[in-house]
Amino acid sequence: MIVISTSSERRRLNKLILPLQQGPDLTLGQFLKTVGECCPQTAYAVKLRLHEMADGELKDMEYFFATLPTPFRAIDSEAYKTSVVGLFMRHMLLAYNKLSFSQVYKLYKALQQYYHSQFAQPGVSPVGIPGLAADNTDMDLTSTEDTMGERMEKDELDTTPLHESDLRNEDAPSRGPLSQKQAEYFLARQAYLLKNDENKALKPAALQDELNNMLKFNPDFAEAHYLSYLNSMRVQDIFISTHSLLHYFDRLILSGSEGKSNGDEGYGRSLRYAALNLAALHCRFGHYQQADLALQEAIRIAQESNDHVCLQHCLSWLYTLEQMKGSDSSVLTEDSVKMAAHFCLPYLASLGIQSLVQQGAVQGKTAHELMDAMKETDILHWKHSLSELIDISLAQTTSIWRMYGKSTMAQQQAQLLLNMSSLEQVNFGVHQNNTEAFAVILCHLAELHAEQGLYGAVSEILKHLKDQFPPHTQHAKLWMLCDLKIQFDRAMNDGKYHLAEPHVTAIAALNKTEGLYRKALVLKALNRTTEAYSILQRLQLYCEKTKYTEMIIRVMLATAELHWESSGFATALPLLLQALSLARQHHLQALASETILHLAFTQLMLGVPDQALGVLHEAMEPVLAHGAVMDKGRALLLAARCQVTIAGAQPDCQRHAALSLAAQTLGEAAAYFSMLDCKERLRDVHYLQARLHHTLGQTAERNKCAMLFRLLDQELPAPGAAVAMRL
Amino acid sequence: FGLSSGLTGIHVQYTLVLILSTKPCEFGDLVQIKKQLISVISLCKERGLVHSVKWASELAFALDPLPKNELPPPAIFTEEDCQDLDAFGLAKSYFDLKEYDRAAYFLRGCRSQKAYFLYMYSRYLSGEKKKDDETVDSLGPLEKGQVRNEALRELRVELSKKHSAGELDGFALYLYGVVLRKLDLLKEAVDVFVEATHALPLHWGAWLELCNLITNIEMLKALSLPDCWIKDFFMAHMYTELQMIKEALQKYQSLIEAGFSKSTYIISQIAVAYHNIRDIDQALALFNELREQDPFRIENMDTFSNLLYVRSMKPELSYLAHNLVEIDKYRVETCCVIGNYYSLRSQHEKAALYFQRALKLNPRCLGAWTLMGHEYMEMKNTSAAIQAYRHAIEVNKRDYRAWYGLGQTYEILKMPFYCLYYYRKAHQLRPNDSRMLVALGESYEKLSQQVEAKKCYWRAYSVGDVERMALLKLAKLHEQLNESDDAAQCYIIYIQDIFSCGEQLEHAEVSTALRYLGQYYFKNKHYDEASLCAQRCCDYNDAREEGKALLRQISQVRDQTETSSTDLFGPLSSNNTPVRRVSPLDLSSFTP
Repeated sequence: MIVISTSSERRRLNKLILPLQQGPDLTLGQFLKTVGECCPQTAYAVKLRLHEMADGELKDMEYFFATLPTPFRAIDSEAYKTSVVGLFMRHMLLAYNKLSFSQVYKLYKALQQYYHSQFAQPGVSPVGIPGLAADNTDMDLTSTEDTMGERMEKDELDTTPLHESDLRNEDAPSRGPLSQKQAEYFLARQAYLLKNDENKALKPAALQDELNNMLKFNPDFAEAHYLSYLNSMRVQDIFISTHSLLHYFDRLILSGSEGKSNGDEGYGRSLRYAALNLAALHCRFGHYQQADLALQEAIRIAQESNDHVCLQHCLSWLYTLEQMKGSDSSVLTEDSVKMAAHFCLPYLASLGIQSLVQQGAVQGKTAHELMDAMKETDILHWKHSLSELIDISLAQTTSIWRMYGKSTMAQQQAQLLLNMSSLEQVNFGVHQNNTEAFAVILCHLAELHAEQGLYGAVSEILKHLKDQFPPHTQHAKLWMLCDLKIQFDRAMNDGKYHLAEPHVTAIAALNKTEGLYRKALVLKALNRTTEAYSILQRLQLYCEKTKYTEMIIRVMLATAELHWESSGFATALPLLLQALSLARQHHLQALASETILHLAFTQLMLGVPDQALGVLHEAMEPVLAHGAVMDKGRALLLAARCQVTIAGAQPDCQRHAALSLAAQTLGEAAAYFSMLDCKERLRDVHYLQARLHHTLGQTAERNKCAMLFRLLDQELPAPGAAVAMRL
Repeated sequence: FGLSSGLTGIHVQYTLVLILSTKPCEFGDLVQIKKQLISVISLCKERGLVHSVKWASELAFALDPLPKNELPPPAIFTEEDCQDLDAFGLAKSYFDLKEYDRAAYFLRGCRSQKAYFLYMYSRYLSGEKKKDDETVDSLGPLEKGQVRNEALRELRVELSKKHSAGELDGFALYLYGVVLRKLDLLKEAVDVFVEATHALPLHWGAWLELCNLITNIEMLKALSLPDCWIKDFFMAHMYTELQMIKEALQKYQSLIEAGFSKSTYIISQIAVAYHNIRDIDQALALFNELREQDPFRIENMDTFSNLLYVRSMKPELSYLAHNLVEIDKYRVETCCVIGNYYSLRSQHEKAALYFQRALKLNPRCLGAWTLMGHEYMEMKNTSAAIQAYRHAIEVNKRDYRAWYGLGQTYEILKMPFYCLYYYRKAHQLRPNDSRMLVALGESYEKLSQQVEAKKCYWRAYSVGDVERMALLKLAKLHEQLNESDDAAQCYIIYIQDIFSCGEQLEHAEVSTALRYLGQYYFKNKHYDEASLCAQRCCDYNDAREEGKALLRQISQVRDQTETSSTDLFGPLSSNNTPVRRVSPLDLSSFTP
């Protein structure tokens, strides 16, 4: 019918056939635009043809359908009867021929409406009151499945690319009823966005409105209930989410009822998954007892019908639930992994392994075991393209490296995930998903930057996190805690304890253990020793019960510091040694180095500077390589103090060299502290420097340092703790 | 009487105004009421409002006939009426023949209020009729729910213009309200219906529409309604709808006392109210009376059949079904009755078929969906049952039977946790219905949540247990948990309960209770009570042997104690009693 002038146009049109045929319905304007971009002539011809029909009479449409079969016979035609378009046209023709007269008339009316909604022509509008009639003209016609009339025309005349921009426009809320395809597309897209990039999805209220509208026009559209369940989970609405979930499964049972009654595909299956989903829901809301009951029910039904796959899912939920309740579930997890591998469920298997790795890391399994396990699962992931699990695996590796105190490795893994492009097949231009893995990674990055004193970068990362994970979303707590921790540490380092105190309450709200620990730190800093001590004791007992090794070590260190304040250096020593052995056993390098610093300091105070320096050298390397700037400074300061003390006992000739070495070390420490702008410690350093230079007779340097000390001393209040009594 | 705006220059209303201005608010003047009814009947008849005519006529029929000179004068004709007379007559005849478009066409130039109403009303009905036809040959399954009455929007625009100009009379306001309701503009609709009742209190249709829109008692209290005798009918109806049965019955009683004792409408309403509170005997008596007075009545007969079903009165139900089929077999009520009839005869496929037919006749018939769900349950077709119940809930979210049915379905599928949600929903809607509480308790028991289960059973007993199972279950639960005192207490109350209600229940487990109590007293060394229980046990076949054995044991123990030390016996029986000692008198009053 229409002569397509160039072959490039023809190719572009051909490429459009499938997207148009399978994609959601378009409004006429969008349709003409997309066709026009490929081949303006065709678009014009389509418009003309439609105009003829819509402004003509019923017979014009009938004539159109009458001429439809002509190209079927011509073998070289675009619409030959076995071609894609031809098949579609024949399909449509069959549907058309089945229509009764009144239905044909209705179709014609719908076509007119479809046309005029685009090219509104006053006077032709079927209803007299344009204001009211305009509401429902949009999509009326497109809603019919078996008449496909208008879609046919598009195709028959060859069609257009589905640009992403066009699809975007589609999910703007529309008031009229949606057609099946539009609704399905809408649901699929929103569900995908909810899972991967919640910010781009419709706002909860708007989405709910849309869903309600959809359900009003087609109450049998069960998937909408499921999306409503997901949506109300976003706003933590247990009432609606339970309601929607149950409604969805009630509906699903209907649709599945044609199958075998209790077999794999029958409604027995949806019953099992219904119970399982209910368990997941309660789990999400933290109703562990309820979740447990629902899960048991799911397990029982699954056992009765021998559904191993479902059982496997149940098992993985079971260990998750146990983990959430805080009990040890590694045996369950191991079983789960074995069974999942047996039933060829790679997703569940590697999820189980990841969970095992996490537990193993906390329980002090050796690093190579963990890394091996991760490597194995990674192979599995790449083989099955489980992009979600790849993300999780990278995030987990980051966390493990971080736990071991290898900041460089952690940073490298984090960057790897951030720079990896998503593997999702249908990625609607989403570069970075907002899944938990990304939140974890970004938080780690923020903390790593904070350790290096790069607060500008930190605030940028946090801002990004805030944008990506708005406060009401599921993973927002991660960055909130991270943000608070960084602020707290900063305030403590600056000696602004009154600023740190309010953060403690906020931290405690997000993580009780962490909050308690930080509270003890503040109390200690404020010299409320007794209270701090009792808190630390309580915390240690609790952490030993829950096997939270990192915290145990930190608590021990804090307790040792408390002992220092009462000059109980000898009592601190066994505690520190215990902490050291714990840290070594769990490969927690950062904490081990920290402990060694403490140990060295204790030894220094006990009057064995040689020993102290020896011990210190052991920790110096890892601290300088991986440690935070603060730790580096502290280590160097400590080293300098050891050197000075040792030098005191040496003969004069050697002493001079030793002292100048110490002065040099102090200079390095001062550089680190000034990076953090940690004035209190800088003041100490400058004082020591001044004294050293004085002893060495370097007056100019001494004066310079003395001046710096004087400046800082004027600025700061009187020192809280004695300079010498602190690490 | 606030008609200042609506009635200026409307002479058709003149007669009504006359009637209403002398309106007695008391029921004393039945003659006046009768007069009002007669005139409103003729007004409604002219406008084709058949249901209101029927209601008013039924009521008028219940009152004594008027003497000839008391008859109200026919409506006064105005100039406009005269002009429109021929067109109106023609249009009315077309209207009666359901040729609505034709009627509207001939009425389009008329200026009288009466003609205007009929004009708009025909257009409305024409739209509705087309909508129904459309549903039959829609283009595809997706159009379901999308077919609408296309005329509604135009009607709304025209009517709202006239409404704001204050040119609508009572009937037109009613129509405006209906249009608004159909467009889901419920709030506006309520306002307009209230206005309509003020403008024309005697039009029952407006009241009835209002009734459908009021969802709770607060909303009802907030409305300002005209003070007229018809308001009492409305309130009574409203109370029934809101499940405030006691208030409703009071209202209806006062209406009967006021002189409407012969009204079949009131009798049927009272019967329905009794049905709602499960006072089956009263309801049955009233329905029988109703059938005597009005043997060809089909309305409410489905409720009647429900009652017959509950009582398993097969012959009566069969008679009713035959009778109704003879009257009209294509009525929703008839189909429901037949469905119930087959269900009672355990022919569930046929029953489901008839409920389906009822739904075809009226898809929004709530009862049929639920009943069909029950039938599918009987047929063990759980998925179809779930479907039916879900449909019922879609029609009315407050249908507790459907929620309960869903719960039962999942219980049958052995998902006790899953069904909790549904039972809870049902319980929310009927907080004082023991059946939901017992069901909840059973589910909790299956989930080993004994504390919750105990609470549910006890509550079920407290709100008045219909099936008298709650206490027994509670006692057994206590028994399981080794709380013997509590268990004994429950069994005692249970036994009292069973015997006080007089009738013999099939599932009564008095023997179990007696057996337990016998052992309990025996263990606590109350031999007198124990032997009493054991003797009672012997009245039941299943417990006879145990009763005898217990008696033997008791006599043995007694012999021993008497021979060994008579001194010990005294303190034993008086002091070592358990804390909650149960008086033996309780048992002596039992007469099985």
